[in-house]
Order: sequence, then C-alpha cells, then structure tokens
Amino acid sequence: MKRHNLVALLATLMSATAWGQEVSLYGTTMAQMWKSEVGLDKATYTPATQYLGIDANKLGSDNLSLHLFGWGRTDLSDSSNLDGSKTAGYLNFGYLQYRFNQANAEVKAGRFTVNQGTGFEQVDGVSLRTDLRGGFTLSAFGGKPVLYKTVDPTAQKDYDLQRDFIFGTRLGWRIPKIGEIGLSYLQDGTKAAKDLTIPSSVDYTRKQMGVDLLIAPAPAFQLRGRTIFDLADHLALPAGTEKPSNIAEHDYTAIFKFGSKVTLSANVAERNFYAYFAGTNLPSLFRQDEKDKYKGYGGALTVSATDNLQLIGDFRHMNRESFGDVNRVGGEVRYASTEKHYMAGLGARSVSASKTIQVDPTAPGRSLSHTEFRAWTMIERKKLSLSLDGIVQQFKEGNPYLNGLTSLYEVVASVGFKATENLKVSGDISRGSTPVAKDETRGLLRAEYRFGFGKKGGQ
Amino acid sequence: MARKSVLQFFGVLFGLGLLMACSLISPETSFAATHPEGLGAGRPMCSECHTTDVSKGALKPYASFDHTQTFVKSHKYQANQDANACASCHAQSFCSDCHGGKVPMKPAIRLSDSPDRLAPHRGDYLTLHKMEGKMDPSSCYTCHGRANNDKCRACHR
Repeated sequence: MKRHNLVALLATLMSATAWGQEVSLYGTTMAQMWKSEVGLDKATYTPATQYLGIDANKLGSDNLSLHLFGWGRTDLSDSSNLDGSKTAGYLNFGYLQYRFNQANAEVKAGRFTVNQGTGFEQVDGVSLRTDLRGGFTLSAFGGKPVLYKTVDPTAQKDYDLQRDFIFGTRLGWRIPKIGEIGLSYLQDGTKAAKDLTIPSSVDYTRKQMGVDLLIAPAPAFQLRGRTIFDLADHLALPAGTEKPSNIAEHDYTAIFKFGSKVTLSANVAERNFYAYFAGTNLPSLFRQDEKDKYKGYGGALTVSATDNLQLIGDFRHMNRESFGDVNRVGGEVRYASTEKHYMAGLGARSVSASKTIQVDPTAPGRSLSHTEFRAWTMIERKKLSLSLDGIVQQFKEGNPYLNGLTSLYEVVASVGFKATENLKVSGDISRGSTPVAKDETRGLLRAEYRFGFGKKGGQ
Repeated sequence: MARKSVLQFFGVLFGLGLLMACSLISPETSFAATHPEGLGAGRPMCSECHTTDVSKGALKPYASFDHTQTFVKSHKYQANQDANACASCHAQSFCSDCHGGKVPMKPAIRLSDSPDRLAPHRGDYLTLHKMEGKMDPSSCYTCHGRANNDKCRACHR
C-alpha cells in the first residue's frame, strides 16, 4: 500500500474509534540493549519498540467494529536497521468488520490477514464469509497483496508488476457426524514472469488449488489435512528435463484420544519444492528451480499423568532428496500447579542427521547432529512474577556454522510486577554464547497496559 | 438499443443470482461474538464445560479445541476452518504475537517472560536455523516464505 493510502486508511480507522461505544486500547512498550562486536566493528544497540492495538466495538451498530494493530521502533544509539535509518514501523492489520446476526456472516475491509485453504496472506482489500444451507460455507477475499519491500528495490523490480492483485475463495461442506471437506483457490498476481513485456526469470505469481478435509466421526479420533495443487503455467524447462509434479503439498495429521489422559498424534507430510515454493520472493533460499522433495512423518504422545503433570514424547523422521535422512526424537515434562501459580518444564531433543553432501573436495561433509536441553520455570505470587528459561545446544562435531564452538547456550531471567489489573512492568536479562556473539548479555524492559472494556484476550 | 438489452439481461441475471444466493444463506443464528463467561488463567480445556455433542452444526467435538500441547502445534487446522470459534475468545492481535507477518523482534524475545508458550526460535536460533533449513526448508517457508524482509535478505541474496 502506498504511504498516502496508508495514512488515509489510518486516519479513517482512528476517527472511527471516536464513535465506538466499547473501545479497548492495549500496548506494550519495550526497550532493549545489547552490544555487538564483529571483527573491529563495535556497536551498542538500544531500540525502543512500541506495539499498539485498538479494538473498537459497537460503532453506531452493535455489529460494526474496528481492529487496529501495529508497531513502531526507534533506535536510541546505533541503528539496528540495515539501511542505516533509526526508525521503522508497520501496520500489521487495520480493518472494519461487520458481523451479521445470522449465518456467521461477516465482511471485512482494510488490511487483514487471511488464513483459508491454500494461503496465509496479508491483504489490503475486502473479505466475505457466510454459512449456507445444507452445511456449506463460502468465503472469499480480494485486493492488493501486502508487499514487503527490501532495502534494495532493484532486487524486486518485477515484484510490483507481477503481484498486482490477490484473490482467494473457499467452499466448505460439513457432513453430519463425519466431518468437513473444503475446496479452495488462490491466485496471487495476474501477470506471470513470462507474460511481462520483458520476461523475468523469477515468477512471483501463484495459482494454487487446495483440498482440505476433517474426518471426526467420534471424539476419540480425528483426521485433518490438506493437499495443494500448483496450477501455474511455469516457464518452459530445458529440453530433456523431467516435468515436476503439480502436487505441491500433502500434509495430514491424525489425532487419537485414549480416555481423557492420553493423546496420540501422527503426521505425514510431503512437499515438492518446484510447486510448493512457486511464487516465493526469496528465490535464493526457497528455490523455485529446485527439483528437491521433502518427506516427513512423525508423532507425539501426550500423557496427563496427574492433573498437574503432563509428559510428552515425540519423534520425527525427515528426508530431503538432496540432503538425506534426519531423525529428531525427544521428550518434555510439564508441571502446572492447580491455580497455575507455579509452572515448570524440562525437555530434551536429539537430532541425528546425515552428513551434508560433499561438493567441494577441500571442504569435507559435516554432520548437523546435535542435542538440545531446556528447562524453564515460572512463579506468580500476588503482584510479582518470576521466570527463568535456559537452553543448551550441544553439537556432535565441528561445523563451520559454529565458529569453533560445540556448545551454545542462552539463559533468560525475567522479573515482573503487576501494578494494577491493566498494567504490568517487567525486566529481562539474558546471557548466552553463540557463534555470532561468543559472550552476549542483553537487557529488556517491558511495560504492558490495557485501557477500556474489551473482554477478549488480545494480549 | 442492443447494448441496453444486454445490460437489462445482465441486470435481471444479477438480480436472480442475488435472490438465489440469499435463499442459500443459512438461517442459523451466528456464533457468539465473545465467550459468555470469563476463562481462567492458562490454557483452556473446552471439554471441562462443553460436552462432545456437536453444537449448531459445527460438527466438531469440543475436545478438539482443548488447548493441549497437541492443539498448540496443530491449531492451524482449526484456525483455517473455524476462525469464528477462535474469535469468540481471542482478538486478532493475539495471533499477531507470532504471525505478525512483519515483526521487529522474534516471538521468543517478545514473549521471553512466558517460557510456557511454545514460542519458536528460543536460544541461538540464528545459528540453528541454517541447519533446520537444510533439514526441512518448507518448515521455514510456512511462516517466512513471503516475508521478504531485510534481515533475511542480508544473507539470502
């Protein structure tokens, strides 16, 4: 969205709060401080960040509401922005919403996040949803996709041209005593790379169709998941190249409940990068031209040993065609007192991975295997709260990513004081050792507050 | 004249379509905008108060919304299909804590005084993410795929 459009939207939304009968304003102010030393460059960072949200309900009508959330930051010493500037800000969402009394129908207009069917998108536009007769639901959205600008706009010169419009829709059908099935479509952009006046080598546009399903015939069992198809017409591949599959993703999770104490979940996922990464704007990282595939399966067993104690064990196997197999196995113990005044957790995970493929004969393959231990505790006594969180990562062998280290750690301690029901101040101090900063100490001061009548758990 | 006829045709078609669409709308009352009772601290257990009977055709056992560890990890499915159920208790700003799209600091720093929340990227994730990315880049893409911010660009050119 252009800056003047954003200002106009903000002004409209802010003025709307003036006639809201139920307005709640919430915010968090954070001041951080840490030092960095990379080679001869030394810098001290002290960014102050303000998060601010407004929910204004009953704007003239009981059904009309306004929702606004964003953040702003300024650096009090060295700049933490890569472009050298000392301020930054962003509007996460700002929209007017009208909820109808019937059929769960709603209309949104402004900047909002969409999570339906195939995409998780930020849109400046309009969205609609309603329940239909016979268990059907229908939703749709359209508008301008929110574009993330980089410091170097030339790297994205085709970005605006291609991603000019975004549209999505989902039709769902709820089947009594069985579950739900949904069919969705997403189109991001109308001019694919090959259709530009000067064709681009990177295609940011997407055309995807998704099928999602839920099968829940009994409380003790449910199966959820989705399959996504890539419908985009891609650039022609070099002669002799095998055409990749149009199935971008399968991702399914089954949950079994044995009584009220034991839950077993199992997941299987498969992704074909050529189709799945279609439209990415980080092609160097999520490579569209990659023919690689990912397959993974795993599960977790959760046992509520007592009302206060929960035991979790999990396992995941991952496979990348170009990289090999990885197994991650671990567990966690969680304790929460009945009144939730005292909580604690202890966890360990072990990752055993194949060695990376040896491309350069002078740089031998290396293992990414490591073990992670974590312990945390939280105490709340009247107005005072304390928390302590420690994590250690122990690597099995030397690795160029680790800068000579084999053990990394971080400890965070926090003390908070809830002055009133709507105001809490707290301070964190963290200490750690990483390959980037071998000895690092960070400080953080936080003030969280809320004014108004809103009941929902916004923060 | 012909143009006027075409417009009239499409006008009638639009009117009929609208009538048909309205007749398809469910007559059921909407989901409550807010949860009628205040919930206690910690993760709610919907099934403590609600039975597993389906309500208003939602066809989802309330036990599926119990905020157990399993739910926290798989809530994307519920959010995808039942955003109204989430919205009866949570404002969208609650989602933005982690799914902000563009955030000035990682959730584990922002929510560092809540280690019980499964905020991702605790510890030295700056180092670890290179390895996670090698093992399964699609796990990063789920949240960061289109968030082309400068921090990513600094290394991933």
